Amino acid sequence: MLRHVDALLRGLGRHAVGGGRVPWVSVLVLGSATGFGYGAVMGFWGGRPLQAFYSGVKVPILLGLSTLICLPSFFVLNTVLGLRDDFAAACRGVLVAQGTVAVALAGLAPLTAVAYLSSSDYALATVLNGGMFALAAIGGQAMLARHYRPLIAANPRHRIGLAVWLVLYVFVAVQLAWMLRPFVGAPGLPTAFFRDEAWGNAYVHVFEAVRQLLR
Amino acid sequence: MNDSSSPGNARRLLGQIDRLLRGGFTERDTLRAGRIEVPVRTLLIGGVVFGAVYGVTMGLYAVGSRGAAGLLQLVATTLKVPLLFLLTLLVTYPSLYVFSALARSRLAAPETLRLLLAAVAVNLAVLASFGPVTAFFTLSTDSYPFMVLLNVVLFAVAGLVGLGFLRKALATVFETATAAAAPEAPELPAPRARREPPAPPTAQRVFMVWLVIYAMVGAQMGWILRPFVGSPDLPFACFRARESSFFEAVIRALSQLFR
Repeated sequence: MLRHVDALLRGLGRHAVGGGRVPWVSVLVLGSATGFGYGAVMGFWGGRPLQAFYSGVKVPILLGLSTLICLPSFFVLNTVLGLRDDFAAACRGVLVAQGTVAVALAGLAPLTAVAYLSSSDYALATVLNGGMFALAAIGGQAMLARHYRPLIAANPRHRIGLAVWLVLYVFVAVQLAWMLRPFVGAPGLPTAFFRDEAWGNAYVHVFEAVRQLLR
Repeated sequence: MNDSSSPGNARRLLGQIDRLLRGGFTERDTLRAGRIEVPVRTLLIGGVVFGAVYGVTMGLYAVGSRGAAGLLQLVATTLKVPLLFLLTLLVTYPSLYVFSALARSRLAAPETLRLLLAAVAVNLAVLASFGPVTAFFTLSTDSYPFMVLLNVVLFAVAGLVGLGFLRKALATVFETATAAAAPEAPELPAPRARREPPAPPTAQRVFMVWLVIYAMVGAQMGWILRPFVGSPDLPFACFRARESSFFEAVIRALSQLFR
């Protein structure tokens, strides 16, 4: 397991930069395991094991499902851009980057645990987790950039492909994260897989918040 | 004709659409000879199927917001999305052909239709690939104006990709027409250095005329074929009363979202 994580981070073997077979299975297994690890720590804030389990399940769902939703558009747009011959390499980059986010999160899990032990402030916990996800996303971004560098050097059009992926992925992932709440588990609310009022649209909520600010 | 549903034919159809998306039917050599060798049947079937796929994801909102009563809307939207594109092409094709022939296009009337159909098929293939995104947001969104705007944006992006395909093909068509007329320039500075030569002015002019005609008719056709998403407050109707216009509706949806 550790050897596979190391190979993923260093881009060795199956996870190397370039074309060839896309390492679906190994990224799925590694990402699920490490994502579950971080999610479990994240959900343990109120000392509720069930919430920890739910959150653990939700982190891999968040990373995997948002990728899955965006892949068809990514595939067709790459084809239309004339980048189809490099699609295996691009897909590999996207996938390994998702795995990297999960592994980075798992690496950050002890920090979250220590922070939980030293403070019981809910607001701090949410901000902290937001920061952890941001850090892990930077790691994933670095991995994606590493995979895209040779592609862009060979054909500058890959810049467009990369931008397409980022816009689409962020747009979908934000909404999915919103739907999958709660991750930490607010103190007053019962343990739940989905929050009852969560089944809404994140962007509509943001619009409403902005509107109320401006009023 | 009726064997088109067999798996072998479906695979061949997908293979041809794939080749179309990769630009395999609009290569310089064949366009120079004024030919586009993609079968019309492939374009039609592919376009209708892709349009219907997106129509299903688009019509899901009505099912989510109105339950079983929304099923009619789902069926209607599934039929309407391909219809929107084909009717728009039907209405605009004569004028588009006249303008390109006036500009001495290398493409004869049937080839012009093929090129336009190919662009529509590319447009619909991209749109269909957005299907999962639309379905995902439909499942998690109550806000009607948000869904309307999301669909407008996705249609616009898919439309831009289709137009990009068309512009590139037109540039080749007219470039070969002028290059064949002019004597071969001996000191062409490294033709491989530049990937895409700038579109000749004729091609750009024809493209602009096509764009304006097609976009205006398309937007209005979409308006005539309403409703696509189906407002949760209104009962199902095949078509709505003719009133206001597409642009007014977009502004209204934006203001509702921010109100």
